[in-house]
Amino acid sequence: MKEILKALINVFLKMPQGFVVTLKHVFKKPVTLDYPREKKPMAPRYRGRHYLERYEDGTERCVCCGLCAAACPADAIYMEPEETPNGERKAKVYEINLLRCIFCGFCEEACPEEAIFLGQEYEFSDFNRDSFIWRKEDMLVPHPRKDNPFKRIIRRVRRVYGVPDAAR
Amino acid sequence: MILNKESVALMQKKASQYPRRKSGILPALTIAYRQVGHLNDQIYREIAKAINVPYVEVAEAATFYTMFPKQPTGKYLIQVCHNISCALLGADSLVEYLEQKLGIKKGETTKDNLFTLISVECLGSCATAPMMQINMDYYENLTRAKVDKILEELRAKA
Amino acid sequence: MSTSTTTQPAVKMVTLTINDQSVTVPKGTTVLQAALGAGIHIPTFCWHPKLKSVGACRICYVEIEKMPKLQVSCATEATDGMVVKTESDIVKRGRKAVLEFILANHPLDCPTCDKGGECDLQNLTFAHGLDDSRFDFLKRRHIVPGVPSTFDDLRIGPEIMLNRNRCILCYKCVRSNKEAFGEYDIGAFERGNAMEINAAPGEQVANPFSGNLVEICPVGALTNSDWRYKIRVWLTQTTPSIDIFNSSGSNILFYKEDHKNRIFRTISRRNDEIDDGWITDVARYGYQLVHSPDRLQKPLMKKGSKQVPVEWEEAVAFVARRLAEIDDTKGCVCIGGLASPTLDLDSLHSFSKFMRKVIGTNNLDFRIDYRSLPEKPDSAFSTLSSQPFTIAEIDTSDVIFVFGSDLVKEHPNEYLRIRKARNFGRPLVYSVNSFNVKSADVADREFIYAPGTEEVFINGLCLAAIEENPGLSGADGLKRKISPADLNSAAKTCGVSAEDLKALARTLINGKKISFIVGDQVSLSRDREVIAAALCNLNRLVGITSRGQMAALARYADSIGAEKLGLIPNPHPDVKRALTDLWGGFPEMAGYHTEGMFSQMLKGELDAMVILGANPVAMYPDHEAVAETFEKLDFLVVADLFETETTAMADVVLPLASWTEFAGRYVNLEGRIQKAERAIKPLYESKPAYAILADIAAAARKPLFSSAREREEEIEKVLACTTVRPWPGDYLDVRPPAIDKDPAYPIMLIIGDDPHHRCYVTEKAASLVKFCSDAYIELSPELAEKFKVEDGDAVRVESKYGKLMAPVKVSRVLEGDVVFLPRNFSVTRANSLVSRKARIDWVRINKVSG
Repeated sequence: MKEILKALINVFLKMPQGFVVTLKHVFKKPVTLDYPREKKPMAPRYRGRHYLERYEDGTERCVCCGLCAAACPADAIYMEPEETPNGERKAKVYEINLLRCIFCGFCEEACPEEAIFLGQEYEFSDFNRDSFIWRKEDMLVPHPRKDNPFKRIIRRVRRVYGVPDAAR
Repeated sequence: MILNKESVALMQKKASQYPRRKSGILPALTIAYRQVGHLNDQIYREIAKAINVPYVEVAEAATFYTMFPKQPTGKYLIQVCHNISCALLGADSLVEYLEQKLGIKKGETTKDNLFTLISVECLGSCATAPMMQINMDYYENLTRAKVDKILEELRAKA
Repeated sequence: MSTSTTTQPAVKMVTLTINDQSVTVPKGTTVLQAALGAGIHIPTFCWHPKLKSVGACRICYVEIEKMPKLQVSCATEATDGMVVKTESDIVKRGRKAVLEFILANHPLDCPTCDKGGECDLQNLTFAHGLDDSRFDFLKRRHIVPGVPSTFDDLRIGPEIMLNRNRCILCYKCVRSNKEAFGEYDIGAFERGNAMEINAAPGEQVANPFSGNLVEICPVGALTNSDWRYKIRVWLTQTTPSIDIFNSSGSNILFYKEDHKNRIFRTISRRNDEIDDGWITDVARYGYQLVHSPDRLQKPLMKKGSKQVPVEWEEAVAFVARRLAEIDDTKGCVCIGGLASPTLDLDSLHSFSKFMRKVIGTNNLDFRIDYRSLPEKPDSAFSTLSSQPFTIAEIDTSDVIFVFGSDLVKEHPNEYLRIRKARNFGRPLVYSVNSFNVKSADVADREFIYAPGTEEVFINGLCLAAIEENPGLSGADGLKRKISPADLNSAAKTCGVSAEDLKALARTLINGKKISFIVGDQVSLSRDREVIAAALCNLNRLVGITSRGQMAALARYADSIGAEKLGLIPNPHPDVKRALTDLWGGFPEMAGYHTEGMFSQMLKGELDAMVILGANPVAMYPDHEAVAETFEKLDFLVVADLFETETTAMADVVLPLASWTEFAGRYVNLEGRIQKAERAIKPLYESKPAYAILADIAAAARKPLFSSAREREEEIEKVLACTTVRPWPGDYLDVRPPAIDKDPAYPIMLIIGDDPHHRCYVTEKAASLVKFCSDAYIELSPELAEKFKVEDGDAVRVESKYGKLMAPVKVSRVLEGDVVFLPRNFSVTRANSLVSRKARIDWVRINKVSG
């Protein structure tokens, strides 16, 4: 008898309560996104794909010093330096294997020239493994983000330790 | 050959007086400077050959001593001391005055090839500052009027 | 500085305390050396173990009790009872201050600097330095005019780049250049803030030891274009190896990258017994020939008139079949073999066994550029060249006698040794030659004898010794055996005055420890047998070897090894016995040496040749005659790294692996066995010589060795035999042969190696080609004046046997009617001018107008 009463209370009292909650959410803004038509804005310090920077005059910042490759815990960076006609040093080959990359951002931290940084993009998928080896040209593209909050931190750390800003 | 026979002979004589030939480099440079008025690579080579020392050692010694001019100078090489005593007593304005008077900048030679103006480190005559050395002579306790007079005299002599 | 205590018995010892540790060192040692010897590290920039101390950098500060200020340990002599502290706070403060001053002007361009990762300054700054600079002003910058670059790099030599901004003015480069190498092409100019290291105005740093300057630079001021911007040092691995371009076998270290299978650079691996840490540029840049695109990639076989690439199996089977055919039809007497003395022991022994056991012939040799070869096995020259010689003994010799050798070109390490001996001791050095040589700058006196009078000069020396000391044993016996038998006429013939001869003889008699070096002017002379006999007489009379050493030095990396393994038709009896024991037999036939093989070939009595890593057509005297000889061969198989004149005539060409591509052992001129480890995998399809021979032997169904272990054991047993031949028991006859001279050819021609090249292979090394890319005629200023030629003018050189054209280089050392021609370039084959029959190569030259 007691059980029957309990069930009746559940059906006529508790269930409408639940429906009310559901009904409330119908009029609320949905928490999901209509991915891939709509994209979630990433946190400012999110670490996505790599970009290589240029100076204002268009020359590459990267001097191919190898510190990013040395700092890389996944051994994802490969580079070969070369000499430019006027005797400066630049990268002949600069490749990042995005399949190996763990997006830790150590390369960004190690870079003395502020040449490499990790952007916001996170969508990597392809049918071909080779396309995950990004060459220098793939990374030397204009990038959407002007200011990198992480770089700001690096600069502050440098100031603290008295290392001059690498930017010329 | 830029060096004449007398200079070479004198260099060789001087060099032979030292236990090490290398010691003959400085007298040789002085002799060459007295003859030519300045020094250059060709002269270093000739000295090296004359006293039989490596060419590079002659060049090293010559470039170390800033007292040897490495470019042709005018007939009178005006060396104004710019070290502390002279500077306190107006060496800078003296140089400015000379520049204005001769119409040249420091390190240049006048068009008539008469004067070259440079400023140098202490010449050891601090008690009589400000002072300058023209060729081998000291001119001390300088004032503008004195400088005018000196330049006039030199012009007249030339 | 001499470390040898055996020759200076009464060395006073001092005891001092360094960091509470008691250290006893010989008097005269610096505090720094005492500390380093006790295993206490003191940082240094300007100090180098083989140079005199200058105390220029001041980073080696130590605290010495009772001294008011910090002292530079590299210039402070250790004294008894000294109490030194190297790690106290005040020392650390001092070092920090020194670093701060150095860094005031040193740019922070480590990311682009090739020294980054192995830089002394970087390491020290990391260990001691401040993380901030108190110098607010701009750093001093030496701008290179005319180069739109922010890097300020200046090329001061074919291989050397200089960045003066990075220079910390330790003067190590300048000092080593002047002190250790005797070269004067780099200097320190200006003074104060403007001071800079630079090449001498208008000159290039291109001396044969210039690579060392880069190696000892403590910062990245001097870098070489060989290593410039190629790879980061921490990405490379190192392999210890041996310099095979030189008979002293200096120790080197290859920096290679395993994934790329590529060597990136060579640095020295200091071995005080041999090289003192200095290596020649040939040793440093020679590895580049390994990566030359001209390397033979596949075996080539002559099909029709063309050589076409084939597979290894086909080539090996063909060689085995052809050799067997010739063996069957004409007999093994008709097969001969030549192996390069730069091959390793395994290859040489395999070659010996292949020729003697598989083919059964005794026609084999390793002497590839000699004019004449001794007929008798116990000849005077064999005695002379088999004598023991120790490079390090030069340091402590008080008389050093260099006879007939252009040391810089032939034995650069020994040249540096003599220079060091002169820097740190007072030996008497004599250089005796038939022409002026660069290495005479270490000599107290240089003597020039008339061309082709080596034996007369030595006879004169003997006669002078008798006059100086009539009591010398057997003087009368000697006088009967030599001509001319009186001092004055000998002096007149050889052109060195009797007084000079007497003075020389006196030093040889009175010398306490003598190093007597005999060089190429004797080794490569037609009459070397006579000269060697004269030298044997001199030794017997004066007793040089009882108070030192005397030897005709080996010329190639493994010459002594080849000699010890018996790679000559008539090996030393002990070696022959050992080989017979090992193999159960030894070919009965007498066998022909190189010269003999060539004459047999010319007669048509030798039909097949096996050549390993040698190019006799280009290296042996008389180019045309040798080429003609080789054309008569039925079958020629050549294994080499590159296509050469000899491979062009071959029926089968096999790609040989270089010494970097397999582990090999080499015996240097002292008889020291040294190992060169494998740095990279064999490139293309090349194989080491021992593997090639094993393949051919296997194809002929007569396997050489059952295992590598067996080969090693055999080599060990053979090497255990001594090959030092005893000095002759009596004075030898020395009758100088007449010197042929045609007045139409008045000028003496000297053929040898350019200081930046060795043999025929180094022209494939890109860096060495930058130093010297083509043959030249080096002639004395007098001759240049006579023919009115200047540097770069073309002259025609003509001898009785051939002629060639080459640009002129006016020499700084040669005097008189002498010209020098390098033999290293395939475009100009120097051997076409010379003949095996002539003692002296006489030529005439004339200017090519227009």
